[in-house]
Formats: sequence, C-alpha cells, structure tokens
Amino acid sequence: MEDYDVIVVGAGFGGPVAAKKCAEAGLRTLIVERAQVPGEKVVSGLVIPFYGFLFGPDFIMNGNPPVERPICKVVNRFVRNGKIYHTNSSLRLPSPFALGYAAYCKPFCTWLADRAVEAGSELRTSTAAIDLIMEKGAVKGIITDRGEELRCKILIDAGGTQNNLSIKAGIRKKYVPEAMELYMLWDFQMAKEDVDSVFDLSMEFFHGMPEERIGAPLGYGSTFYIFTYRESIHPGLGQFLVTEGKVPDLARLLPEYFENFTSKVERWKNDIAPKVKLRAVMWDVCPIYAGLLPDMRKMPIYGDGMLIIGDAAGLEASAFGDGVPNAWFSADIAADVAIEAVRAGDTSRNFLWRYESRVKEHPYITYITADRRRWDLRNVLASRSEREFRSRINDHWGIGAFRYRYVGKPLSCSIAQSLRKDPLVMARWVEMYRRYYCNWVENKFDKLSTEN
Amino acid sequence: MTRTFEEFPGVEWVEGTGDFIKVDDKKCDGCACCMKVCLAGCYEIEKKKARIKSLEKCMECAACWYVCEKGAIDFSWPKGGTGYRSDWG
Repeated sequence: MEDYDVIVVGAGFGGPVAAKKCAEAGLRTLIVERAQVPGEKVVSGLVIPFYGFLFGPDFIMNGNPPVERPICKVVNRFVRNGKIYHTNSSLRLPSPFALGYAAYCKPFCTWLADRAVEAGSELRTSTAAIDLIMEKGAVKGIITDRGEELRCKILIDAGGTQNNLSIKAGIRKKYVPEAMELYMLWDFQMAKEDVDSVFDLSMEFFHGMPEERIGAPLGYGSTFYIFTYRESIHPGLGQFLVTEGKVPDLARLLPEYFENFTSKVERWKNDIAPKVKLRAVMWDVCPIYAGLLPDMRKMPIYGDGMLIIGDAAGLEASAFGDGVPNAWFSADIAADVAIEAVRAGDTSRNFLWRYESRVKEHPYITYITADRRRWDLRNVLASRSEREFRSRINDHWGIGAFRYRYVGKPLSCSIAQSLRKDPLVMARWVEMYRRYYCNWVENKFDKLSTEN
Repeated sequence: MTRTFEEFPGVEWVEGTGDFIKVDDKKCDGCACCMKVCLAGCYEIEKKKARIKSLEKCMECAACWYVCEKGAIDFSWPKGGTGYRSDWG
C-alpha cells in the first residue's frame, strides 16, 4: 500500500504547482523539500518573463504573489573603455503592462508552497530525497536523508538542476558541462526612491567586446546584467563551465570581471555606486543550454512511475537563462498526467509517455529551450563586427525579440490557444497586469505562512 | 548552529551537512578543474590529487561534479535543513 498517490520532490517554482493541482483532484499528495523554508536554497537573479504569468497556471495569474518590481523596459548599454557609447531601449511596454516581474525566490516559492498546502497537499521541509525505492525497474517511492521510506504511485521530480534522482532511476544522465552556466550574483540594498530615479521600471544589460572584460569571461555567451528590485538591485554575470573544450579559471575570473565592471564602467561608478550597499554574494549552476545539445535534449523526461519537470528535466529558456515559466508549464502538464494515471490505475511508462508528448506539443517549452540566440553570440563576438553585435542584441533584448522566428511564434500560438479556450482571456490579462501593478505600488501581497 | 563568512555576506550555513561531496582518489587525475570552478574554495590539490579542504562555504552548485571528466566526484545533498540558505537568492 502506498503512503501517497503522488510525491513531489522539491518546493521550488515547479513542485508546488504540480502538487496543488494533484491535491485539488483529490490525490494524496506530499511535497518534500530539503530546505527549512521553500525557496531559501534557490539562487537566482530573477525576472520571471510575462509569458509564464499569461499562459501558466490560473492561480498565479489570479493571485497576489510577492513581486519585487514590474519590469517594463530592457535597457541595453554598449560599453567601450568603461563608457557607454550606444544605448538600445527599444523593448518596452507602458505600465501597468510588464515584460516580467522581478522576485526573490524565498518569498515567491513560499507563496507557491502555501497555495499547494491550502489545496490539501502535505509539505515536509528539511527533508532531502536522497534515493529511490525501485521495484522491477519502476520508481515506487523515495528514501529520505533520515532513512525513511515513503511510497507513492507516481513521483514528480521537481528537484532542480543538481538533484540526481532521475540518474538513479536510470532515466537521465548527468548534464555535460557544455550545457551548464555558472553564474555569480550580488545583491545591493538601494533606497526605493533611488532605484525609481536611476532605473525606474527597467532592467539593464551591459554589452562589450571581449577585451572590455566586464561580461562573460572570454567574451562568450553572456553579458553583465542588473536586475532591479523594490529596494535593492541584483547584478550578476554567468559563464559556461566549459569554453572551447577547456574549463576556465572561473573562481578567479567571475570576481575579477565584477571588479572590472564596478571600477571601470561610469554608469556604475557615478549613478549607482554612491547609492548602494552590498548585502549578499551568491552563485549557482543551471542547465541553460541543455535544450541546444542533441544528447541532452534527447534524454527522456519520464520513466516507470516518474515524471521530471523544470530544471531537473533541462527545460531552461536558453536565450533568457530563465526556467520559471517552463517549470510552471511542465508542472501543470505533469499534474494532469499524474491525475489521469492514478485514476486509470496505470503509472507505467507506456501510460506516462503522454507527458513528454504534451511537453513537446506545448507552444513555448520546446521552442524556448531550443532558442540559439545567446549561444550564437560567441560567434558574433569572435567575428568582432560591432554592427552585427548590436543587431543581434536588438533581436535578443530589443524589439527584434518579437520577430516571428524568435518569441513571436510561441507568443502568437499561445495567444490563439488561450483565446480558443476563453474568448474573454484578454480582459483577464489586463486585470492581472493592473492588479499586479497596484499590489506593487501599495506593497501589498498575500500574507505568507512564514510571516507572523 | 549557523555560520557566516565576511566574504559572502547575506548567506548562512547551517551545520551538520555530513560529507555530501566526496573525491575518489583512484579516479582523480589531478586536473584541478574542480578547483577552478569552485567559488567557495572547497578544493586543494595535494600530491597531484584533488582533496576537499572544507565544505563550510559550499553553495551546493555542483560545478565541481559537472566538470570532473573522470567521474571522481560524488555529489549528493547535505542532510535536510542544513547547508547554505539565503533570503536574497
């Protein structure tokens, strides 16, 4: 006899979404989370893109999660010798509409986990799933770090990038380092009126040729970014673990590039540095390019008794370095399939294949994991064509991003799909934007279970 | 018990993780890639072998595990409720 119908490993961004839906369908659902509080082990400079909110789970669109700042504009600054010589801020929307919402992971994931618990899911924190119960090649449950065996009909693996349950199940392999980015980020306190006056509702990217030594070490793949929060800013930079077959000395280079940026770039020195105070330094690794490497892309995301979602399934948006909307989309599909499987009394891979097939049919997931724009920047930098570089950035973080071959296609497909389901969905989107904006202005969000 | 370190503000480490990263001496060829990608300075090279100096500042990113071509590094989770945590991630 199983202890639960569904066990979800991980209360990050995807896990609680899957657990909430399963619990609402009457399934006995448990989330295990290794942190003491959901989200406090999630490291991310985070601006969740708008498409996650518009096409993701209804309860997020209709809810009041704690967001740090609506981001209505992307400002691209091109740097030479520390000076800004060109600025592209063509990608912008008038508030209350937003391109995304900045958030700290801990309150946001806690908000999501609260919704799952409210729906009837059980949540065990400070519990690490370190192994699987396997019978005849099928997953039958988990073994926790305390040695406890918890049995279930279906396991939903939402354990994030580094967790190796799917490897233990024999379904997936360790990500290759070419697919991975190590990013380092800093959190600075800044008075809200200063963030408002220096950045308003924008986030900034700083792009330069390799010799500028401010963005990605060795000039490949990434740029220096500053995300803006309510009363803080969140700069960071990332780099492949392997570049041209070699492992760069990232422990030295990432801090060095940050030091170069803060000591040389005038925008930082004059407008920002006098107003900020360092609060935190962190880093993490994520599988940004898993969708671009054929061997990684081919790995299954389901097995006998197991469904894998979000970063654990390699569903990162490769151009944006973001995994939250895909975690939400895949969690939603996984919950639907888990519910159908439990009701049908069949949790074998022959039944669960439909999860992978629905993930592949989703207008965003497959498209956005195979987006080469960030990956290909390395070739542009190698060619040293300034004109090409500026044009590519415009297609990436400027208005060109909405071209049909980039996000235009999944966006128009998703809008059409949403309209077919609910002809009045546009009004709900406008209402969401308005409510999210008002919540932010008033600094009023749903109370979290961790607040007194 | 929690610990903090001046060079990494805003992060706390809860003690009692156990040895959640291990290096297999027999497989390690001393390439030092693990050391190159570890921002926490967990590794050192001793007699041409990687050795874990201390996991006290580890952020559990697993960069070392990913870059180890020889498969000499074993990575698992620290005990539930231990290891790093932050309000600002």
